[in-house]
Amino acid sequence: MLMRFRKVDVPFELYEIEILDASDEELEEISRELGLALSLDEMRRIKAYFEKQGRNPYDIELQSLAQAWSEHCCYKSSKYYLKQFLFGVDAEYVISAIKEDAGVVEFDENYAYVVALESHNHPSAIEPYGGAATGIGGILRDVLCMGAQPVALLDPLFFGEPDTSFEKLPKGTKHPLYLLSGVVAGIRDYGNRVGIPTVAGMVFFDEAYITNCLVNVGCVGIVRKDRIIHSRAGNAGDLFVLAGGATGRDGIHGVTFASAELDESSEEEARSAVQLGNPIMKEPLIHACLEIVEKSLLTGMKDLGGGGLSCVVGEMALAAGFGAEVWLEKVHLKEVGMSPWEIWVSESQERMMLTVHPKHVDEVLSIFAKWDVPAVVVGRVMDEKVLRVFYNGHKIYEMDIEFVSGGVEYCRPYVSKKPEVEGREEIRDIGKYEELLLAMLGHPNVASREWIVRQYDHEVRAATVIKPLQGMVNREGHGDAAVIKPLPNSWRGLALTADVNPWMAKIDPYWGTASSFDEMVRNLVAVGSIPHSFADCLNFGNPEKPERMGEFVESVKALGWMARGFALPCVSGNVSLYNETPHASVAPTPTLMGIGIVEDVRRAVTADFKKDGNAIVLIGETQPEFGGSLYSKVTGMKSSYVPRTSPERLKAYVKAMLEAFSSFKIHACHDLAEGGLAVAVAEMCIASGLGADLDLSSLDSQSFVKLFSESNTRWLVEVGSGDAEKLVEFFREGQLKAEIIGFVSGHELRVKDGKDGRKFIDVEIEKLDSAWRNGLARFLG
Amino acid sequence: MKPDEIRVAVLRIEGTNCEDETVLAFKHLGVEAEAVHLKQFYSDSVPDRDRRSIWDYNCLVFPGGFSAGDYVRAGAIFSARLKSVLRRDLEEFIKMDFPVLGICNGFQILTELGVLPGFDEDRPISDKPEMALGINDSSRFECRPTFLRHENRGNCIFTTKLEKEIVSFPVAHAEGKVIFPKGKEDEYFDMLTENDQLVFRYVDAEGNYAGYPWNPNGSMFNIAGICNVKGNVFGLMPHPERVFWRYQHSDWNRGTKPEGAGDGRAIFESVIEYLKRL
Amino acid sequence: MIADVYIELKEGVVDPEGEATKKALRLLGFNVRNVSTRKVFRIELDAKSREEAEKKIAEMCERLLANPVIQRYSIRWVD
Repeated sequence: MLMRFRKVDVPFELYEIEILDASDEELEEISRELGLALSLDEMRRIKAYFEKQGRNPYDIELQSLAQAWSEHCCYKSSKYYLKQFLFGVDAEYVISAIKEDAGVVEFDENYAYVVALESHNHPSAIEPYGGAATGIGGILRDVLCMGAQPVALLDPLFFGEPDTSFEKLPKGTKHPLYLLSGVVAGIRDYGNRVGIPTVAGMVFFDEAYITNCLVNVGCVGIVRKDRIIHSRAGNAGDLFVLAGGATGRDGIHGVTFASAELDESSEEEARSAVQLGNPIMKEPLIHACLEIVEKSLLTGMKDLGGGGLSCVVGEMALAAGFGAEVWLEKVHLKEVGMSPWEIWVSESQERMMLTVHPKHVDEVLSIFAKWDVPAVVVGRVMDEKVLRVFYNGHKIYEMDIEFVSGGVEYCRPYVSKKPEVEGREEIRDIGKYEELLLAMLGHPNVASREWIVRQYDHEVRAATVIKPLQGMVNREGHGDAAVIKPLPNSWRGLALTADVNPWMAKIDPYWGTASSFDEMVRNLVAVGSIPHSFADCLNFGNPEKPERMGEFVESVKALGWMARGFALPCVSGNVSLYNETPHASVAPTPTLMGIGIVEDVRRAVTADFKKDGNAIVLIGETQPEFGGSLYSKVTGMKSSYVPRTSPERLKAYVKAMLEAFSSFKIHACHDLAEGGLAVAVAEMCIASGLGADLDLSSLDSQSFVKLFSESNTRWLVEVGSGDAEKLVEFFREGQLKAEIIGFVSGHELRVKDGKDGRKFIDVEIEKLDSAWRNGLARFLG
Repeated sequence: MKPDEIRVAVLRIEGTNCEDETVLAFKHLGVEAEAVHLKQFYSDSVPDRDRRSIWDYNCLVFPGGFSAGDYVRAGAIFSARLKSVLRRDLEEFIKMDFPVLGICNGFQILTELGVLPGFDEDRPISDKPEMALGINDSSRFECRPTFLRHENRGNCIFTTKLEKEIVSFPVAHAEGKVIFPKGKEDEYFDMLTENDQLVFRYVDAEGNYAGYPWNPNGSMFNIAGICNVKGNVFGLMPHPERVFWRYQHSDWNRGTKPEGAGDGRAIFESVIEYLKRL
Repeated sequence: MIADVYIELKEGVVDPEGEATKKALRLLGFNVRNVSTRKVFRIELDAKSREEAEKKIAEMCERLLANPVIQRYSIRWVD
């Protein structure tokens, strides 16, 4: 085999790879040997390209193609379906969607907000602390490279069940609690140190994540509209300035690693694919870049993420219709003896690439020097669409930029699930409502996240108006969305939430995804914000398996249907496939990050009850819908009927809700999600220490359905008792459902139904509180 | 001093991250404040227009954050760098009655510098630290609102305009537990009390001294903030700049006016008032 | 010369990190009696003698590496 690699006679490490006369088997072997993760078809395309050039490629050229054509970089499996179903929901206020590292959307007359959401799954499964920390680093750079000041971070996380016994752990797999504490510590230490508040997120436990935890990270930034920077080179003749951390061997092959299944041996092989972060480099890097943006000294900027230099140079040049030449020996290195291809594909953290007009280069370099950030000129934008790389004067790379960065695209075959045909319906009433409610509150997927949330500085920048924990001090409960006030001189705010219901998506990818969208919108509305845009991070299994591809396609279809019907633009996203091992594939997990506009943060609403005697109104329609519900989980009774929704219905309710917020004094609002009405009202009680007296007889269903069904498009609202009738009337005028179901009262939760007036729930808030507060904490110590 | 003569420096090095909101707190009150990198005081590589001297200012603030990543110990590296280049000047600055404020990481820096507890008026910077801000008893970073009882009898120039007895400021730190040298705990506490150096102590919602989570870090005697013997240097773990406005309080929408003053504003008003009289 | 400088908490100072780790290890089923934390700095320096080097290191500890209120240090020579 080694004879196919011929050392080139230059004073450094460079190999020519003889592919021109290689057979199919040999091509596959080369891909394996070099760790390229390229398929036979792709290798054949490369061979054909170099046949036309009349020469064999160098190692650096093959490595570069492997990066550019990885699933992670070019979305080769997902692009076809994303384009068909999801993209293209336009809104006039969207400035840039999908095309760049982050979406850019109008915030007000002068400012835009910037949104990015990404996965950092594979690295976190191997090294949770470093993996999660660099995830935060990466997402910050995605927002920064648009010229924006990051203002908030979000972190949806998914792990195996916390009580998994060690005997049951597949070999080479780390315990979910180990992963959870490592990931939380990584996000904490990076996010807190760079001084960007972590304000929202979610933590979800399910056995499907036992061998593949998911770590998704989101970031929002704010930028003056006339300062938006694009991820493309400026003009021919501009210089490439590489700024930030030194380049090392860490993170080599990160993207090819992210684009294949993990297995038992992944740990040893992949440690080098996990980068190490340095928040104390990132923090000045943010300041320096923003100063350069403020002074308009640059023509383009992009962060170095997957694929390192090899991707950033090609993508920036291609996006601008240019080519580039790079002088690789200029790159400052962490270690000696790195070969050119390693420098070219390294994914070392904390690096940004800028294009700068030659006349501004000195000033740019001096600004970086002021912030103690190393920066060097490493190349030039060229008029011809070719990328050339030199190392100490030797040309070691020359390819057409469109061939490299244009990527590949597949239309992979898929089969869709038929949950109703395949599934069973076992759901029935088993009574014991109070016991069930306590079990639900103590379920790790519902219980208090305080242990996690308080480790994140969610208040740095002093702009978090609605915090992730809200209510009476030291009794706080969860809110539906956080609200940030990004500008000191404006009351306008951004509401942020992250949502997905993997239990539902596992049973029915279509309706589970539609329900997740519904929940995201509900959460935005619950704090009084107007749903404005969203980002998605689609985490699925191996796309080469038609049933996995089926999950993906169904999910994307549902997302497109909801987004289009509701007219909510998808402005940024990320697809993470291959979250699968021989032991398990993740549940379909289309994580959604919703962004809402709060016109005046002083009118934002929290979920905790405010005052004894106020009325509690249920908005929305309750049906017996239990597929993927918490009721199904805690009782062990299966259901395949995942809650339905429709964009038209959701739109009608949202419109009415938002009108209600401006016409009535709404004291508290909470959406109904896991555990339905019962859990929602309990959470409103817990966060305030106030009780509630409910009578559900005006609703039209069986008692257990009223309490625990997870029908979509529903909220609980607290209003003054004098307003309650008018509020209900207001909804009914619009042909929408609303019922007064009780009052804030005392320090117990009491619920009755039916004519006999028997209370089937009568429990002190303290008892609910302790079940909820200890549900997750008991595992974490 | 006239209000337009007041100049506040909010000092930073890499990893400092609360400088913007701290600068803003002063600016909201109409005085000039800027974030200054420590380098700007001494480095030759800084262009002339960015060079500064400590004497360009009449108030120094060490803001929150993770200066130098909190490596070694929180605040230790910032204070070592400061000592090497600015010790004399800072000593003089304090002796001349100019105010110095340390918030969170800033308090850690002042502690590591040996400026606080600051028992000796003639030697405002001690050779070695005389107290420590240790790892929280919970062993975790804690971001949460706290209630503080104001216990200063008038010595501390940073709380003269504080009208409420109990205020609420949030904390966000992993190393904030006030520790005095072993065997000297009571002696220190008595001295602080006698010299009127105690400023804030953690209490519960009813105003009683209480344990975790009300005392978020396990501080001895529930101490949250102290000043030096002269009252012109003040360090505290909670963040007054994060509650400048009412809408920044975690429970503002439980019946308060969001656009009103937050509990932290009085700290900044007090020091400005003091500077006006200086 | 190369020395490992150990920084540890003085006796009687609570070690929350050690305590939390102990608790976590016990949760994992390890029957540990005690856990305490230390920080080690490996310092390479030039000096004429060990004595001189130790004097320098002592000064480093006093001026930066340890806070004498809660910490003490010890030196172990590596080379």
